Parts: sequence; structure tokens; C-alpha cells
Amino acid sequence: MKKFIALMLAVLVLAGCMAGCAKKKETLTIYTWEGMFPQEVLDAFTKETGIEINYAVFDTDETMLAKLEAAKGGDYDLVIADDYIIEMAINEGLVQKLDKSKIKNIDSINPVYQKQFYDPTDEYTVPYGAGVQTIVYDPSKVTVDIKGYADLWDESLKDSIGIIANYRVINGMALKVLGKSYNTENAEEIEAAGAKLNELAPNIRLIKDDNLQDDLLSGEISAAVMYTSQVTMAKLENPDLKVVYPVEGIGFGIMGAFIPSKAPNADAAHKFIDYILDAKNSAACFEYLGYYCTTKTADELIADEYKDFLTLPADFDASKTEMIENVSAEISELHDKVFTEFKSLCE
Amino acid sequence: MKKKKAAGNGAFKWFVMPIYLFTLFFVIGPLIYMVILSFLEREETWGVTNTFTFGNYLSIFDPIYLKTFAESLRLALISTVLVAFFGYVFGYFMAKLKPRMRKMMMMLLMIPFWTNSLIRLYGWIIIFRANGTLDSVLMAIGLIKEPLKLLYTYPAVVVGMIYALIPFMILSVYSSVEKMDWHLVEAARDLGATPAKAFWTVTFRLTLPGLLTGIILTFVPSMGLFFIADILGGNKVVLVGNLIQEQLMKVHNWPFAAALSVVLMLIMTVMIWAYRKIAKADELEARL
Repeated sequence: MKKFIALMLAVLVLAGCMAGCAKKKETLTIYTWEGMFPQEVLDAFTKETGIEINYAVFDTDETMLAKLEAAKGGDYDLVIADDYIIEMAINEGLVQKLDKSKIKNIDSINPVYQKQFYDPTDEYTVPYGAGVQTIVYDPSKVTVDIKGYADLWDESLKDSIGIIANYRVINGMALKVLGKSYNTENAEEIEAAGAKLNELAPNIRLIKDDNLQDDLLSGEISAAVMYTSQVTMAKLENPDLKVVYPVEGIGFGIMGAFIPSKAPNADAAHKFIDYILDAKNSAACFEYLGYYCTTKTADELIADEYKDFLTLPADFDASKTEMIENVSAEISELHDKVFTEFKSLCE
Repeated sequence: MKKKKAAGNGAFKWFVMPIYLFTLFFVIGPLIYMVILSFLEREETWGVTNTFTFGNYLSIFDPIYLKTFAESLRLALISTVLVAFFGYVFGYFMAKLKPRMRKMMMMLLMIPFWTNSLIRLYGWIIIFRANGTLDSVLMAIGLIKEPLKLLYTYPAVVVGMIYALIPFMILSVYSSVEKMDWHLVEAARDLGATPAKAFWTVTFRLTLPGLLTGIILTFVPSMGLFFIADILGGNKVVLVGNLIQEQLMKVHNWPFAAALSVVLMLIMTVMIWAYRKIAKADELEARL
């Protein structure tokens, strides 16, 4: 028996060496949320380039930045995260400039999503998907014709609205109704928005970030303010739902891909960026992801059933959008206070 | 005597050491870290600066935040009272069952614990949601015509709290009822006490320690079970736990989150201390 175990151990050691001693394959370490790419696209990339993909996941932007700080901009080759956190990462010097000569598809990007606050000259990032917070409602249950945020205050919607739990988005909704900016640093304007928001409390049935679409589909709520990916899922399940671009204008959130300053394999990262900017690959990615397609050339390839909510409407007016940017700590605390008060008024 | 000596020898110390070290590193260490954090100023993005301040504690006195403390206490009190009532009745009758049945009951109580509490809470969503199990049953027997809006309400949160906490109450009441000397009840009955009077003067007094342990075991966690308010209350019941989580994860105001935690712990300590004082007085009265 002992001999047998010894033999097995020897085999194991040998096998371990064979795996380890073999010529090391080129790898690309992507660091992003779970489920950002369809597996077929990743596999096809490996097949085409021979570069193995190592997919590391984080659950919040903050975790990503903390890890990247700890690694001093190393460890990861490509990171995809939200706009505001990219701004912080760039300011901390954790991002390297893109070598655009290596990205031949760079012109496929939809200019609407470029030159944004986090990267005003497009030196560091390539957008990968955008989200807006739209209103979705079930016309069979709602009697008002919802055109914008202000209609959510209607009394007929008592106890029937679900909203996401992002306080900047929800306070921003009230700010927009009052005709103010999402990013105002004026405390009085935020307090006024808070007072306005408190009047919405009786209509609120549910506040949550995850899977809000389920409650809309099950009939628990009849109208909702939710993220693009949730809208996509809700619409696919129930095409009768109505999606509204609020007349007050909308806030965009953009996810961007960047290469950390000390990425071990920046070359592979460039190749990957170029690969996903290809119209066909891009369309496959966005149909899977359910966010707004940021690749202009992919728009026409997106299947009709998705087109409504993955591409911008023809009459889209970029001047009416405003991105939610970082505000000072003091203002961010005020936002939270306003939102906490609002939440405790909902019952 | 011999036993005490054994407790003092070297081998014993070595067995206890890991627990000591564990407590030191993972309980006391983080506690000290948290207290220090609560006196520092936050940085613009997140993290902290090395500036000393009382500001974090002062902000707690904002009426909006004070309200969350009141809300937490209210929910904890409501849940504890309900759990004490139902748990006591259950534990009492369980202890009076035949041994075989008792074992069965114990199994039935323990089995749900093998599943993660979050998953069990999602089970309640299926029961409560519009056209869910409860609605279908009530509609089938004709009690209601339209789905009740049960999910995301205060009662739903209370039910979730009771569900999560009641086993602790049942087990501690059960163990004290089981240990009780029933001859004392018989004696009381022989001396002419009605069943109700015998229960109140003998059984209840003797099982009080179990009930009191159960209350502490229920009340302490009920202040912190923020995810129940999240999942079953649709985020509308804002407890201190929710506030702390939000300060950490969304506002990135770590020092304020730490200050909130310190205050929460202080409140709990004072309440448990006061509670023990009162409970001891009760026990003395019972003996007289």
C-alpha cells in the first residue's frame, strides 16, 4: 500500500512538472464584473490569437480600485469599470495611455460616448457599454401616460413604484424635475430636491438594486426607474412594457476599458480592445450584456428584438443628457442624508 | 480539587491559547481599529486622514440618523416580544412531549439551519409576493379577491425577524422547562393552586432564566439583522445596520460608519447590563 501511495505521489509530481515546465502560454488578465462577455467571444479571441484569458472579477468599483492601488497598477492587463472610478484611477496615475496605432477599430466608437468627464481627451479609455436610468411601466396597470420623471409623483401611482437604490440617481431624478443639474454643488438645491423627493414617498413600494425587473414582471410594482440591463431583461420577458426616456433628460453612466499603468501584458490588452471593437464581436457582446451599444458600427448588426433598448433612438439629443460625476465628500454626504430621510418616509 | 489542578497545568494552557489568540486578533483587534477609525476624519474619496475629530459622533445627533436608531430599537422590541411569546409557548409544550416526539421536534427545528438564512428568506418572498403561495391559497378558499400587497411591508419584516430568531428562544426555554422539577408543580396543585396559578407561581418563575437568556439571544442580533429589512421590507425600513452598510459601501464614509457601530455597541451593552440588573432583581423576588 505504501509503495502504491509513493508511486501515486511520484506521478503527481511528474504531472505537476509537466504542466508547469511546459512553455508558458501568453495570457491576458481581464479584471471586471462577472458576466461582462459572452463565453463564445472570449473563446474565439483565444482561438484567433492564442492568448489565454484569465478573467478576474470584482463586485464593486471600489474593490477594483483598492486592488489596483495595492498592485500599484500591475497584475491586471485590462480593467472595465464605471466612469467615476476611472476618473479616480487616472488621477492616481494607475492608468496608461492607449497606443491607438495598435487599435485599428478605434474609429468604430460612437462619439456620443467619447470626450466625457473622466477622460476628456480619450487618451486612456475605450467605452464598453453605457447605461441610462429609464422609466419602465406596465401600461395595463398604469392609468397616467408617463412621459417623464415628474409623472411619477402622480397620486394614481400610490404604493406601486420600484426604484433602484443609487442615491445619486434617485436624488438626481428630483433635481431634474426641479430643472437642476445632477452634479450641483449647491446644498440648497439638493435640500430642495430632498423635499421634493419626500413627496414621492407614498408612491414608493420598493427600493432595490438587484433584479428590480423581477418585481415589475411579477406585478409587485407597476412602474419602475431602473438600469438599462434590467430594462433589457424586463422587455425580453414582457414586450408590452413601455420604456420611457424622461423628458427632463437622462443621466448616462458609461463603462470604460482601460489598461493599468504597469499591466504585465499591455500588448494583449490592446489586441483585446481591438477585438471587441470589431462590429460583429461588439454586437454579440452587447446583445449579451444588455447595455447600450457604444460601438457605432455594431448598431446595425444588433438583432431587431434588442434594437429598441440597445441603440439610441433616432431623435436622441445628446445635449439633454448629463453624466453623473464625482462630487465633493460634503455634498455626497448631504445626498446620502437626503436619501436616508426619503427612505425612512417610505412605508 | 484534582480537577482544578488539572486545569492549571501546562497542557491545558496550550489548548486554550489558540482561542485566546483568536479572540485577541479577531475580536479585540478589529474593535480597537473601529474605535480609532471613528475618531478620524474621512478623506475626500475614501479612506481616512490622520486628523482627530469628534465630528462623526456629532453627526449622529442629526434627527435623520437618530430616527434610524429609534426605528431599530422599535423593530427589535416588537420582534423580541413576539418571539418571546411564541417561543415560550412552543418551548414549553415541546419539553412536555414524549421523548421520541421531542427528538423529532428538535430535528425539525435544526434542519432549516442547514440552509443559509438568506436562502430561507427568499423562501418567504415566494410565499408573500403578489400571486404567491399565500395569495393563491387565500384566493382559492375565497377569503380575498385580489392579491394582498404583503411583500415589502412592515409586517413582512417582522415575520422575517420572528422566523430568523425564534429557534434561539425555543431552545433556551426548552432547556429550562426540561430541567424543571415537576414535583414542585404537583405540590402546588396539592396545596390547592389552580393550574393557572401553579403555572404562574412555579413553572413560570423557574423557567424565567431560560426566557431571559432567550430574550438576550433574540434582542442582540435583532438590532443587526439589516438584510431582513432589505429583502422583505424593500429597503424602506432604515435600520442602523442598513445605515452602516450604506456609509461603508456607497458613501465611503468609514469613520462615520465606525462611529455608528461604536454607538450601536454601546447602546446594546447598556441595555444588556440594565436588563441583567432587572432580571437579577426578579430572580431574588422569585426566591423570597
